[in-house]
This record gives sequence, structure tokens and C-alpha cells, in this order.
Amino acid sequence: MRHKQCIAMLLAGGQGSRLGLLTQTLAKPAVPFGGKYRIIDFPLSNCSNSGIDTVGVLTQYQPLELNHYIGSGQPWGLDLNNGGVFVLPPYVKGKSGEWYKGTANAIYQNMTFIEQYDPDYVLVLSGDHIYKMDYNRMLSSHMKNGADVTIAVRPVPWEEAPSFGIMNTDDENNVIEFEEKPKNPKSNNASMGVYVFTWSVLKQYLIEDEADKKSKNDFGHSIIPKMLNNKLKLMAYSFEDYWKDVGTIHSLWEANMDLIEDPPKFNLYDKNWRIYARNPIQPPHYVGARAVTTGSLITEGCEVFGTVHHSVLFADAKVHEGAIVEDSIIMPGSVIMPGAIIRRAVIGEGCVIGENCIVGAEGDSDIALVGSGTVMPKDFRVLPGEQVSQAECDQKEGTDK
Amino acid sequence: MKNVMGLIYTTKNDITMRELTSTRAVAALPVVGRYRMIDFMLSNMVNSGIRNVGVIVQKNYHSLMDHLGSGQEWDLHTKTDGLSILPPFQTREDVGNYEGTLDALRSNIGYLRRAKQEYVILTGSYGVFSATYDDFVTQHIESSADISVMYSKSYSESRIFSSMAGNHAYFKLDDDGSVMDIEIGPNVPTYPNFSMTVLLMKRTLLMHLVDQAVAHGMHDIHKDLLSYYVKNKLLKVKGFEYEGYHRCIESISSYYRFNMDMLDYNTRQEVFGLHPIYTKVRDEVPANYLRGAVANNSLVADGCIIEGTVINSVLFRGVRVRRGAVVKNSVIMQECDIQDGVEVDNVIFDKAVTIRSGKLVGQAAYPIVIGKGITL
Repeated sequence: MRHKQCIAMLLAGGQGSRLGLLTQTLAKPAVPFGGKYRIIDFPLSNCSNSGIDTVGVLTQYQPLELNHYIGSGQPWGLDLNNGGVFVLPPYVKGKSGEWYKGTANAIYQNMTFIEQYDPDYVLVLSGDHIYKMDYNRMLSSHMKNGADVTIAVRPVPWEEAPSFGIMNTDDENNVIEFEEKPKNPKSNNASMGVYVFTWSVLKQYLIEDEADKKSKNDFGHSIIPKMLNNKLKLMAYSFEDYWKDVGTIHSLWEANMDLIEDPPKFNLYDKNWRIYARNPIQPPHYVGARAVTTGSLITEGCEVFGTVHHSVLFADAKVHEGAIVEDSIIMPGSVIMPGAIIRRAVIGEGCVIGENCIVGAEGDSDIALVGSGTVMPKDFRVLPGEQVSQAECDQKEGTDK
Repeated sequence: MKNVMGLIYTTKNDITMRELTSTRAVAALPVVGRYRMIDFMLSNMVNSGIRNVGVIVQKNYHSLMDHLGSGQEWDLHTKTDGLSILPPFQTREDVGNYEGTLDALRSNIGYLRRAKQEYVILTGSYGVFSATYDDFVTQHIESSADISVMYSKSYSESRIFSSMAGNHAYFKLDDDGSVMDIEIGPNVPTYPNFSMTVLLMKRTLLMHLVDQAVAHGMHDIHKDLLSYYVKNKLLKVKGFEYEGYHRCIESISSYYRFNMDMLDYNTRQEVFGLHPIYTKVRDEVPANYLRGAVANNSLVADGCIIEGTVINSVLFRGVRVRRGAVVKNSVIMQECDIQDGVEVDNVIFDKAVTIRSGKLVGQAAYPIVIGKGITL
């Protein structure tokens, strides 16, 4: 295998349990986003556009759809003879073999994979965020500073800072302190979960960390604090552009809404930084003679006969005549029957929302969620903030009879 | 269908479509928002399980090669067989320019000889329909015909508009479906069975016929070869009726009408709803309707940004319809920019046309065509 200067390891094994019904049978990185993408398209496209052509994707939770989606890596230009994208699930080694215990352990278990490429640097990414970033610039900064670790940070609102890993730095961007979800943060520089490690250094720490039986085997909890204690050179790399953690239904909804602001808060139209995705193979979408479509993203395969306002429609979604969709996202293949009203809601993949159903409400109400594959009987009601799957629908049917 | 190979010829017929085919072959002509003509014929073959497809190209084939690439989008980038692009080349006995389909086939006889499949389906590139060839092949094998041809009865109304009528072929069939006579280019055809230019025969027979035909100075498959063998009862030629939607795109008006046909739900289902139609992927953002946008009875591809009004139209990828602009009854290709307040009706814009101001109104029977890259 040829030597690579830098390879990427993408942590895609998390369940994303705060996404509730959406991630019941789906890994979080495979959650649909922005009409035709999935969350993992963003880090994968960033790698491809940054010239990082070898990416290991570490999977563990519900990997089937994710594996299928990544396939050969062709949509991202990552189907290469020398390099490319590799799905790396945990596997049995000799008599041992175990699940990935934590983020650091996941990388540890794949050291053989990394060593094949004899890289100087390893980029560690997560499959949870929506952003466009040139990793190559971060790598250059890491090399120029002769750092052992460079951690991408970005300012977050002070009130949200307690839910992030906060990096406190000196005037020269050296990290002097790291606080994981601090109650009283000293700064609002949050870690983006994007790290560049000098591989020889990381390797040694991974081996030591694995030997430590008390360790949580996690970057934030064990590796980074240990490196700080040992006075290694940890640099912060500031990133000021759009970045969004889509870990909750509300933030996923909000990030989708950011695309349809005018001008959009997050711009996908940059021809030099395209976001690639696997194509659904559908004709252009059709808008009917009495359809209303404003302030919305609508993609291939959709058929709109009703009203769609300030919403994101994914491939193959259908909105029948007399139906209203507002401030909502309708995931691939879902059908909104005549007279149904969807407001401030996330409708999962392959749902049927029956005639005259009312999902969610106007105003500042919480986002309603309908789990993937739910076939909802007509006149059903989903309250704001409620999460509904097939089971709830069936139950309602039962009591009606 | 492992035993059938496909051949698509994309030569000729490029003259009649004015600006639209001045820089590209008909096979590479953009249609229905995101496709090229050849996608239909290629997808039909792939959907039938054909794994070896040759595309014979002649003039202006750069955009076609760019579109087809390795054949990856059609799953034809395989180790064995897959997609072969067959451009003309000069040898001692070969002048490098094809007089007709038969010349083209003759030049590529080596490709035919090397193929392992027993049967070959030979098609043109200007037809549009969506089907698999399963029943066609089954009927051919069961009927022990030498050659089978596909025909359609639904085409009769649109021939009036076509300046290509001279190349149209109509079959006379007996009760058994055998072809008794072929009419080429009649103004008023006697028979309703319009040839879809889809032929099926044994590969070895095609090689033999091509060799014989060229030796006898024949150039065109229908006009010269099929007519000769049918008239002299030398081969058993059998018809196979295709009952679904079928159109030939060979003039500005048939191009326009086909795009408009796709606005009808049932017709669109016949073309896109039964089998997937594959095409090259462009990684565009989903279409964005801004506040104030109005879009009715239209097909809109990804990458479009719409602020104005779009009615009864087909918009290709990356089209901008700006504030106050109105697009009606039109076909607008990739990357066109219809700027503030502009009104267009009954027009066909080739790629990257920019209209800065004013009004442009054509007629349904004779839409205005603006060539590639023009700014008005």
C-alpha cells in the first residue's frame, strides 16, 4: 500500500438516541438531510473536496442502510485503487473481539487498517454535523505549528456552551484547558469533533489508553486530557463558518430550515465545494396545476398537488391536492394524503399521512415527529412535540373500533 | 438476457433539429429536465438485463462520450462486456465516414465477432419509450423468425409534423404477424404499423447480412436491406407490437411535444413509472422555490432557483427564473437565466441562454429556438 500523508477516520457508530424514532433502525449518519443528502454526505464530501482520498468509516449501530449507502464510495469520488472509502465494523480478532467501547477504542481497534497506509497524520471526524470545511487547511496549520494535535473549534452561544466540549486557549491558540460539558464555561470555543493527530503520537496514546482498564476509551474523556497533562502541543483551529450539530429533532429540523432562508444560512450552491450524494434515479419533480410552492426545497421524484410552504421535500415525496405542508420536512417516499395538514413537523421515510390528519401546529410549538414507515389512518392527530410511530396509530385504530 | 447484446446507432438524422443538434448528436439531446435521448434506449437494454452494449457514434460525439463516460450510471462499467463506444475510424477499406447504418456496422464487425451473445438487439437513438425486451425476445425465439421488428400503432398522429417522414418505415403484416411488405417514407402510409427501429436477430445473421449488404452497395437497414429480404421472401421477418407510449424525436416540434407530453401524469408514468431511466448524475442542490414563486403544471429539475412564475414548462438543471419573470409553455435547458421581468412563451432554450429583458413569444406549433450560450 502506498504511503499517504493523511487519512481520515469517520466515527459513524453512534446511535444518535436523541433523534428518537428516526434512528430506531438507522444509524445517525444515514439520517436524511436537506432534500437529497444524508448527514454523512457532508464529512465525506468535505474529505473528497479537501483531497483526502482514504476514509475509514467506523460503523457499529444499525449499519445496514449506511453500508448500502456508502457502497463503493463512487458518489463521492472515493472508489479508488489506492485508497477510497472503507466501512470498518468491529470484528473478532483471535480469541478476543468486542464492540467499539468508545471513540478512541474504535480507532485503536483499526490500527492495522491505518498502518497499511503508513500515514503521517490522521484526521478524526464524526458523522453528526452539517458543515463545509477544508480539512486540508487545518492539516496545513497543524503541520506549520508542529502540533501533536489540532482541534477544530468554533464559537457557540454562551447559553449552549455547557452542552459542548469547551477548549480554553492562550493568545497563540494553544489549548491550555479542556472542559467536557462544563457547568460554568470559561470560554465559548466548542470542539467540533474534528481532530488532526500526528499519527506516531496518537498511536502511542491509543496503546497506553487501551492498557488502562479504568479509561473510558474516549477522545474527549481520556485521550485529550492525558495529552494536556503530559504537556503535548495541542492547538485550536478556529472555524467560523456554518456548523450545526443535528443531534436532536429540533436541531435537525432547524438545520433544514437554515437551507431555505433567503439568502440561505448554509449555502449548498458553491460549485467548487459541491456536496455529493447517492442519486435516487428519479425524473425531475412535478408541480401540479393548482400547487403552491414557496420558500421550499423540492427534489427529484416529488409530486406536489397541494400547498408546500417553507419546507423541505425529499426524493419521491408526494403532497396530494388540498394537503398543506408548512415549516416541515418530508423525508424520502412519504405521501401526504388530501386534506392533511402538516406544520412544524418531521415526517420520516416512507410514511403515509392519511386524509385530513393534523400533524403539529403553528407558532412556536415543539416539532412533531412521525417515525419512518408509519401508515397513519385518516383524521389522526399528532400534537406538537409528540413522536408517533405505527404502534401509536394502531392503538388509536383499536380504541376507535 | 445474458444471451442478448445491444447495439445503438446514433448516426444520421442530425440535420433537422437546427440549433439543437448543431453541436451534438440527437442521442445527446437533453430532454425532460435531466436526461439525454440515449438514456431511454440504454435504460431499456439495461432494464432487460443486457450486459453488453455498443454505441455506434459518428458526428459530434463529444457530448455523447462525456455523458456516457464509463457507463457507470447504467451499471455498464463491468469487467466483461459492459459499454463500448464505437466511433468511426479509418482503415484501408474503411473511409472513416459512414454512409449509413450498414457501413457503421461493417466497420464494427470485429466488435460483433468478439461478442459472446447469441442474439443482438439493434436500435436507433431517436426513439423514446420505456420497456423491457423480455417479451420481444421470447416471441422471437418461439416464432423461429429470422428477424423480429418492433412496431407501434400510436405514432400516426405525430408524423404530420415531421420533416423526417422520408425515413419512416411502415410494415404490412399478415394474420400471423409476419412482415409482408415495407413502405419507406410514404406521405400517406397504407399500413398503421410504424417501425420503432428496434430489430432483433442472431448475431451471426447480422454479421452475414451486413457483409452481404455492403457488398451489394446497401447503406440503410430499412430502405435497402429489410425491404430486399422481405420482398424476395428470403428471410422470415416477424412484427412485435409495442402498445405503450412511443415517440420519435426528429424535429423541433416532436421534441417540444414530447417534453410537453411529460407534464401529463399518466403519460409520465408510462415513461418513468414502470422502469428506472438512468442518466448521468450532476450533484445539484434540490430546486429552491423562493418567496413569491409560482409554479404550476411543470417539471422542475434540481439546481433550479425560482423566484418568478413557471407555467406548463420543463425546466432543466440549474435554471434561474428571477423575480417577476414569467415562463410559459416552454422547454428551458440547463443553466439558463431568465432575468427580472422577462416573459417567455412557447420557446425552447438550449443550454446557458440568458435573457436580460423583454418578451419572447413563439407558437405551440412552431416554438422559438435559441441556441446554446446566447445572451439576449
